[in-house]
Order: sequence, then structure tokens, then C-alpha cells
Amino acid sequence: MTDHLLTLLLFIPMLGALTVAFMPRQWVQGIRATSVGFMVVEFLLSLRLFEGDFSTAAYQFELTQPWVDAVGISFHLGVDGISLWLVLLTTALTPIALFASWTSVATKVKEYAVAFLMLEMGMLGAFFALDVFLFYIFWELMLVPMYLIVGVWGGPNRVYAAVKFFLFTMVGSLLMLVAILYLVSTYKELSGHYSFELAELTRVSLPRTTQCWLFAAFALAFAIKVPMFPFHTWLPDAHVQAPTGGSVILAAVMLKLGTYGFLRFAMPLFPLGSQYLGPTIAVFGVIGIIYGAWAAWVQKDVKKLVAYSSVSHMGFIALGIFAMTRHGISGALLQMLNHGVSTGALFILVGFLYERRHTRDFEEFGGIAKVMPVYTLLFVIVTMSSVGLPGTNGFVGEFMIMSGAFFSRGEVGLGEYWFIMTLFSATGVIFAAVYMLHAVLKIFFGPITKDVNKKLVDLTRREKLTLAPLIVLIFWIGLYPSAFLSRMDPSVEAFQRDFNTRYRAQVSLTEPRLAPERPATAHHDLAPRANLQAALAPEGVEQ
Amino acid sequence: MMELLPVASLLMLVSAGLAIMLLDVFTKGRAELPFVTTIALLAAAAISAAALFAPAPTDVPAFITDYLSVDKYGLFFDVVIALGAALASLLAGGYLREHGLERGEYYVLILFSALGAMVMARAVDLLTLFVGLETLSLGVYSLVGYRRTSARATEAAVKYFLLGSFASAIFLFGAALIYGATGHTGFRSIGEVIAAGHAPVMLVLLGLAMLVAGLGFKVSAVPFHMWTPDAYEGAPTSTTAFMSVVVKSAAFAVFLRLLAVGFGDELSRGAGGWPALLTILAAVTMVYGNLAAVAQSSVKRMLAYSSIAHAGYLLLGLAAVGTKPAEATSAVLYYLAAYTVSNALVLGALIWSGSHGKEATSYADLAGLGRRHPAVGAAFLVGVLSLMGFPPTAGFFGKWYVFSAAVQADMVGMTILAVLSSAVGAFYYLKVLVYLYMKSPEEGAPVAVPMKSSYVVFALVLAAYFVMKMGLTPARYLDAALAAASGLIG
Repeated sequence: MTDHLLTLLLFIPMLGALTVAFMPRQWVQGIRATSVGFMVVEFLLSLRLFEGDFSTAAYQFELTQPWVDAVGISFHLGVDGISLWLVLLTTALTPIALFASWTSVATKVKEYAVAFLMLEMGMLGAFFALDVFLFYIFWELMLVPMYLIVGVWGGPNRVYAAVKFFLFTMVGSLLMLVAILYLVSTYKELSGHYSFELAELTRVSLPRTTQCWLFAAFALAFAIKVPMFPFHTWLPDAHVQAPTGGSVILAAVMLKLGTYGFLRFAMPLFPLGSQYLGPTIAVFGVIGIIYGAWAAWVQKDVKKLVAYSSVSHMGFIALGIFAMTRHGISGALLQMLNHGVSTGALFILVGFLYERRHTRDFEEFGGIAKVMPVYTLLFVIVTMSSVGLPGTNGFVGEFMIMSGAFFSRGEVGLGEYWFIMTLFSATGVIFAAVYMLHAVLKIFFGPITKDVNKKLVDLTRREKLTLAPLIVLIFWIGLYPSAFLSRMDPSVEAFQRDFNTRYRAQVSLTEPRLAPERPATAHHDLAPRANLQAALAPEGVEQ
Repeated sequence: MMELLPVASLLMLVSAGLAIMLLDVFTKGRAELPFVTTIALLAAAAISAAALFAPAPTDVPAFITDYLSVDKYGLFFDVVIALGAALASLLAGGYLREHGLERGEYYVLILFSALGAMVMARAVDLLTLFVGLETLSLGVYSLVGYRRTSARATEAAVKYFLLGSFASAIFLFGAALIYGATGHTGFRSIGEVIAAGHAPVMLVLLGLAMLVAGLGFKVSAVPFHMWTPDAYEGAPTSTTAFMSVVVKSAAFAVFLRLLAVGFGDELSRGAGGWPALLTILAAVTMVYGNLAAVAQSSVKRMLAYSSIAHAGYLLLGLAAVGTKPAEATSAVLYYLAAYTVSNALVLGALIWSGSHGKEATSYADLAGLGRRHPAVGAAFLVGVLSLMGFPPTAGFFGKWYVFSAAVQADMVGMTILAVLSSAVGAFYYLKVLVYLYMKSPEEGAPVAVPMKSSYVVFALVLAAYFVMKMGLTPARYLDAALAAASGLIG
């Protein structure tokens, strides 16, 4: 059973999609129950991932099956500390997202459920894949269901948003495809046979210039997905037009695939390239933090505000990753989880309000705390988490990222810009408080100016049930983050160690070279450059 | 008699063609000709497919091998061409009947054109090649102009015929120049003379350029593409399917063989030889094809331009044959097989969407169709995603394989151009999906009603099966393509 756990996790959504596809379309309740049922089973099954040994960095539940032998493609799946929580986030949030749009999607319910199940399979596959080709397939595969979700069930301008989303993502991933092909072609020249295995391809050491180009191609694909400033323009459109469930999945899981791609593929494959271009990407991350916050501030549409706040939060994650310190990376991973939970919750909340009033304009609301007390309470909790109030999950993630950036002064990392970047990213936290609290104030407090608002109904039982797990998670991660961090740490540590080892081995390279089968990983890490740093961060940074 | 076994598939088509002519006469048009034709074509495909996986035949008499190859490369194309023609005749079975055009000649023409295509793909001599080319072309000219009462179809046929004759003449002129330069018409002998340096270089280059122009016309490479949109649009849609899969496969098959065998010497396939020429052709073809397709309002015309764009990707693979023969050849073969089933699927779905008097050709005709008729929508969805090159479909593997060959042949810049232009391609393919799923028909506009035809449904099931099969388990097809390529490259 555990040998095939990952295959099973991919299979269940597919089976669910097939089952739902053959159900009579009039039987709406049955379709809803069946699809959510499959997703819940999927979630419960994914809890078995905890049976894996996450005290090591090795892949758990690994599975390798040759697929297209002639060109070295294999069906290679595995989970480690980096992907574990993202997988669980996916399996947990997909049913919640579908459950949240239970009533708002009334047409073509069957197709909607099928799209969601296929989307879940695509996302999980992308998180599981350890073969670059397989990853690419899943990466592309999840595009179509999301395109349909936005384009068919979206708002008035949905076609434009869907096509924009599709084309943006596709351009990026096609260039990544060329980079993959180039890398594999080099591997073939050096070793004499094809392979798309991630572990095999990391053996290829390329000169700096080549690495920079290839890394740039990967980075473009991932940066568009994240989305990082200046490639973020598809996001507000897609979010505003998408139905609630689509927005939730898009923000909570799909964006994470971009940052995950950096950690899993782009950085291990091209250490020189990522060190050379990483600080630049981090700068764009910081610009994104501030730009996203400012843009969120001036929005009139609550959903657009949340969308821009995503740009801001994802900027933090990019900064944490390219700080290349243990705190930075762990913080980024945790923040991916946090952003998934709190932004997902925000989109659900906004969706509930929209279902009641069919508008998302601030001006239409005001004072609704009096008529919807529970809703207000939950909204404020999620807001606090998004702002990063201590005690909630947002605080832990952002704090770790900023402390990671602050100590990113080694041979790899942000280099001499650590201070200025940390400083500017910290202002993002302040702006976050400004725009979020501004929104809360406008919507919930003050006198009720519109008569329609007096008749608003508070959350129903189904709606409360949808939000409850997310609220629990907000406090759980906020108060006891080690439950989550302890399973990430070994992988993060190994990631960082391998990166540094390879970086140093490749730094003076001029010719493409193939490393021996088993790279020596028992290497000591880079010594901290400043003693002060060691004194300040005894446990965290580079040991 | 046994010595004819290696060309059994060709004989199969000849005898089937003759038999169907008689059958049509004696049953007074009441026979199920599409069915018979399809069976004959599928049988030819099965014969060749069996031979493809069997050991190569020995001691084939010289009167065959001097003119027609019996290698796996030819057999691979036998299968692709016969399958493509079978799909086209199934589609014709639905289309012609629905639109009151059914006559026996159509199927006879399909069989003889397919025969010409197979002869082309197997030709190892410029003269056999020309005979095959003309057999194919004459049949297709009549298939395009089949709807005699339509001014549009007649215009398309005349245009295609005039330009096609011109291209044939140029091709023949090139063949004459090559014969003058080398004293041979057989590909291998030509290659040996050129490699030995006994041929005047200028004459060979001029001849090669003319051959490329002639074949470039058949594969509709820019700037020889002018006929394509009109002919595709004016022809009955089943003919469009036939042209886009069979004519294209045959032309690329012989193009590749001619270049690899006849001009496979170091100088010709070096940086200054035909790969450079084909690279330029590929660049303009894929960029122009994709950009022009964006501006179309007719799906049929869009597919014509998209077929030009696909010719561009294939030319890129062809150019890579110079540096990486084995990889690039198998890539081109796989791509052609994938393109055959994908394009047949999309055109078949387009045929399915229309019915008598309400043929679906424009985007607007498709508005909301995916919702009203989910099966038609699904056929379009799979086919369009495959043409777009989206996993897990045949088209994705084809595109990936061609690009991989190009990267290995050090054509990274061209590959980037190719992926960027295929991103442009994604836009117009998505437009089909947008109309199918996200738009509703305008108030009062005529609504396309899908026809009812088991032929069309069967063709779509067959094509969709291969599109998904070649995408999910490509290993077998890839092996077949590699075996076929090794038959050519050695």
C-alpha cells in the first residue's frame, strides 16, 4: 500500500473525475457529494504521508517506473520535506474550495467538479514528480482545467482573463521546455544516454554563462506562475474573474508551484546561475512586496485587493528563497503554507459576501459587523493572519524570512544588499497592515449606509464548516510552528548543503562536466563570513 | 508472385481502387463505399504495420528496389498514409452523404491518391518520385474541385491546379539539372557522385534549390503556400482532411529521403548546404503561418494556416537531419504521425458540427456547441490541445521530440523562435475552445446542428484513440519511428 501511495493519490482524483463524468447531469446534489467525497478520501489518504520518515532528507514513498525508455523518461515520484506540506495543502484545500463554491456555481456543476478533480491531479503530480519531463507534463496539464474554470464559470470579463492566464503561463513554460531540452542534450553528450531524472541531471555541471541562460528560462516560467513583479499582470484579472473556488485554488496552491519550482528544479540544477541571478530576483521580490501592497491599497474591489496582496506575499517568499539561509528557506516554505491558508480563507470570505450582495465594491458596504458578527470575527482573524500579527501563522513565516534575509551575507545569498532588502521588505509588513485594516474598517465598521446591508444574513452552517479548518490552521501554525518546521528542516538543510557544495565545485568551471554518480554530500558548509553573524544567529544560519 | 510481397500494400490499393469502380457501377451507387474503402486502406495499413515489426525482407528483386524502397521508412509512411486516408474516407462517408455529394468516384480518387502518396514515400528515384507526385496531385486536384456547383471549390481547384503544375514543372526542371550534373536519377547514385566530387557544384545547387521549391510547394512552406488557404477552404472538408494529412506526410517523406540520401554528403548537409536553406524556410513558415492564422475568422482557414505553421516545425526537424540524422528523422516521422491523427480529429469534429445546409466553418458557428453537444466539444478539445502541443497528447510528444532534435543539432535560437511562435499558435487554438465553451450564439444567428453519422463518429473515435495513445504511451510509436529512421539512415 505505502509503496504505491503516491500513484494512488494521483489515481483517486482521476477516478473521481471519470465517475462524475458519467453521472447524470441533473443529479446536482449527487455530483457535488461524489466529487467532494473523492476529495475527502484523497485528503484522508494523503494523511498517510506522515508515515514516511521525514527526519531525513531522502525522498519518501519513492516510485520509479520506466515510461519512454528510448529517450530516458521515467515515471518517478517522491515526496520530501519540501513538498510534503504543499501536497497536504493541496489535498486539504481542494475539497474546501469546491465546498465553498457549493451554491455559487449553479450551472454545469458536473463539468466544474470534473475540472476540479483533474486540477487536483495535475497539481499533485507536479509536486510529486522527480523526473523533469514528468514535472513539465503535470505543470502544463493543470493549466487546462484552470483555464476552463476561469473561462466558463468566471465573471463578465472571463474570456479575456482566461486567455491571458493561459498565454502568460504557456510562454514561460515553453521557454523552460527549451532549457530542459538543452540540459538533457548536454547530459546525453556527456554520458552517452538520455535521462530526464532530476537526480541524474543535477550531475551536469555547466559553465556560468550557460547556467545563467538556462536558469533564466526556468526562472521566467516560475516567476510568471508565482507571479513576480513585473509578470504579475495576469493575476488580478484571473482572480477577479475566477469563481470563488478557482480563486482559492489559484492563490493557495497554483502560485506555490512557481516558488516550489525554484526550490526543486531551478536552483539545484543551476547553482551558479541561481546565485548570479538570485539577488536580482530577490530585488524583484522586494519590489513586488511594496508594489503589491500599494496597489492593494488603492483597490475598490475587495477581490482585487486580495489578489494584489498575493503579489506582495509571494514577494516575501521569493526573498526568503533567494536569501539562501536556512531561516529564509524554511520561512519561505512555511509562508507558502500560510499564504495558502490565509489567502484561501480570504477569497472564500469575499466569495460569501459576493454571493449575498453580488458586488465587491467597498463603497457598497460599511457597518456590516452589526448584522454579520460571526463573519466579521472570522474576517478579522484571517486579516490578522495575513497582516502577520504574532500568534497567527503569518507572523512566523514573515519573521523567519526577514531574519533569513538579514543574515544572508555569506558566499551565497543576497550578498551586500542584505540590509537594504530586509529594510524594504519590512515596510511591506507595515503597508499590509494599512491596506488590510483599511479594508476591514470600510467594510465592517461605522454606520450602515445602505438599506440592503441591513438584511444581510450571517454565515450558514456550511459556510462555517468550510472555514473552520483554515481558522484552526492559522492558529496552529502561529502558535506551534515546530510541528510543521521539524518535518521540513532535514530537507531544507540538505538542499542548502548540496547547493553550497555544488556551487563551490562549479564556480571555476569553463567546460560542461558530469559529476560522478554519487556527489559527495558529507561536506562542511561555508564558514560564516562575519563572526558577528555567528554570534547573532547561533542556530539558524549556515552551519 | 512472392517477390511482390514487399509492395503488397500498394497492390492492395490498386486492386481495391479498381474493384470499387466496378462495385459502384454494378450496385448503382447503393454499396457502402466508404466502408469498403476504409477496410481496404486499413488492411493496407495493417499489412505494412506487420512488416514494420518483422525482419526486413531479403533478396527483393532489383526491378522493385531500383525504383521503390522496401525499407522500414517506407513502411512507416505506408501506415501513416493509409491511416490518414482511411480517416479521410470515413469522414467523407459522413460529410458527402450529409451534404448530398456522395458519388463513387470520390473514394476511387482517395484510393489512387493514397497510392500515389505511398509511391512518393517509397520513391528512391527522381522519376518514380515524379510519377508518385503526379498520381497524388491529379487525384487531389479533382478532390478539391469535387463540388462542381460551388464557385468557391472550382476557384480553389483551378488555383491549386495551376500553381501545382507550375511547382511540378519547377521540380522536374530541378530533377533534369541534377540528372545533367550527376548522370543519375536514383537518389543513392546521385549522392555517391556528389560525395565523390564529380558533379559541378553550381548545377547541383541550382537543381537542389528547384527541388526544394517544388517540394516546398507540396508541404506548403512559405513563400510557396499561397494556394493552401484557398484550397483548404474551398474543398469539401473531408478533402481538406485528406490533403492536410496524406499530401503533407507523403511530401515530407520524400523530401527527407531525397535530402538524406541524395544530398547526404558532408558538403550538402553542412552549414552552407540545405540545412541552412531549410532553416530559413522553417523560420518564415512558422512565424507567418502562426501570425496569419490569428487573423482568420473561418476555422477551416485557420486550420489551413495552422497547417502551414506545422510545416514550419517539420522543416525545422528536417533542417536538423543534417547534423543529427537519427534523432531528427525519427522526430519528423513521429510528428507526422501525430499530426495526421490530430488534424483528422479536429477536421472531423468540424465536419461533425455541421449538418445539411448548415455547415460549420466559422468560429461563430461553433459558439456554445461544447455545451449543447459535449461529445463534439470533447473531440475538439482533445484535437485542438494536441495541435497546440499540450500534454498528454500525441501532438505534445511530436513537438517535444522535434524541438529536442533541433536543440541537439545546436539550433537553440531556432527552437526558441519555434516555441514562441507556437505560443502564438496557442492563441488561435484557444479561440476554438473559447467559442465552444465560453460563448453563446448570437440572437437569431443560425445554429450549427451536428450531423448524425456513424462513419464520422468512428473516425473520431479512431483518431482520438491514437491521439491519446500516442500521448500516454508513446514508447511503441517512438520505437517504430526510430526503426523507420534507422532504415533510412542505416
